[in-house]
Amino acid sequence: MEIQLLSFGKIAEIITVKHVNIEGISDTDGLKSHLEAQFPELKNVKYKLAVNKLIVQSNTSLTHHATVAIMPPFSGG
Amino acid sequence: MSEKKIKNIFVEGAISPQFIAESIAKHSSKTEIGGHGIFLGQVRKDKIDENTVAAIEYTAFEDLALEKMHLIREDIFEKYPLTCMHIYQSLGTVKAGEICLFVFTSSAHRKPAIAACEEVVERLKAELPIWGKEIFEDGSHQWKENK
Repeated sequence: MEIQLLSFGKIAEIITVKHVNIEGISDTDGLKSHLEAQFPELKNVKYKLAVNKLIVQSNTSLTHHATVAIMPPFSGG
Repeated sequence: MSEKKIKNIFVEGAISPQFIAESIAKHSSKTEIGGHGIFLGQVRKDKIDENTVAAIEYTAFEDLALEKMHLIREDIFEKYPLTCMHIYQSLGTVKAGEICLFVFTSSAHRKPAIAACEEVVERLKAELPIWGKEIFEDGSHQWKENK
């Protein structure tokens, strides 16, 4: 299954790919482990995910071509 | 979510004092207003070790930020008797000393305008997916953290 990735802030410097192909992963917990294995620096950063523009509060299932945003703590204003 | 149109809050670069002055002037015809609350965020020239902040470069997850701002706007209008509210947040580069956030609330009497203004600023900083990259004078950078 292919997932589109949107990385922001500090995380855009860590995750430089725009999509991942994940086989055998079907939810955001699985995606997190996959990304943290591929980009170990991610483990040292606090971040939230949004799936198709909805911020993830708990493990969420993923569908083919879902867009997942990876967002470090906000610092606007 | 209501059917009201989602307003843009983002402007490219710094918010000019002229723009702020014109925004205030536009309210002279709204004679039911008795008080305005205004917050202006300015890029601070922080010194961190030997480095000095020259500018902040802002990026945002714009779609999500505007949707979230729309919900905050609805909450605030429900909570306070406001006549109007305007919010502008910079994207891109804003140099130290320049304005990067302009929140402008108006009501018949001062208290709702002041309280709504403060609440919008606090919620915007905590809830909107916007990121500031502090660019130092030597060209290096660090990611801003809100306190």
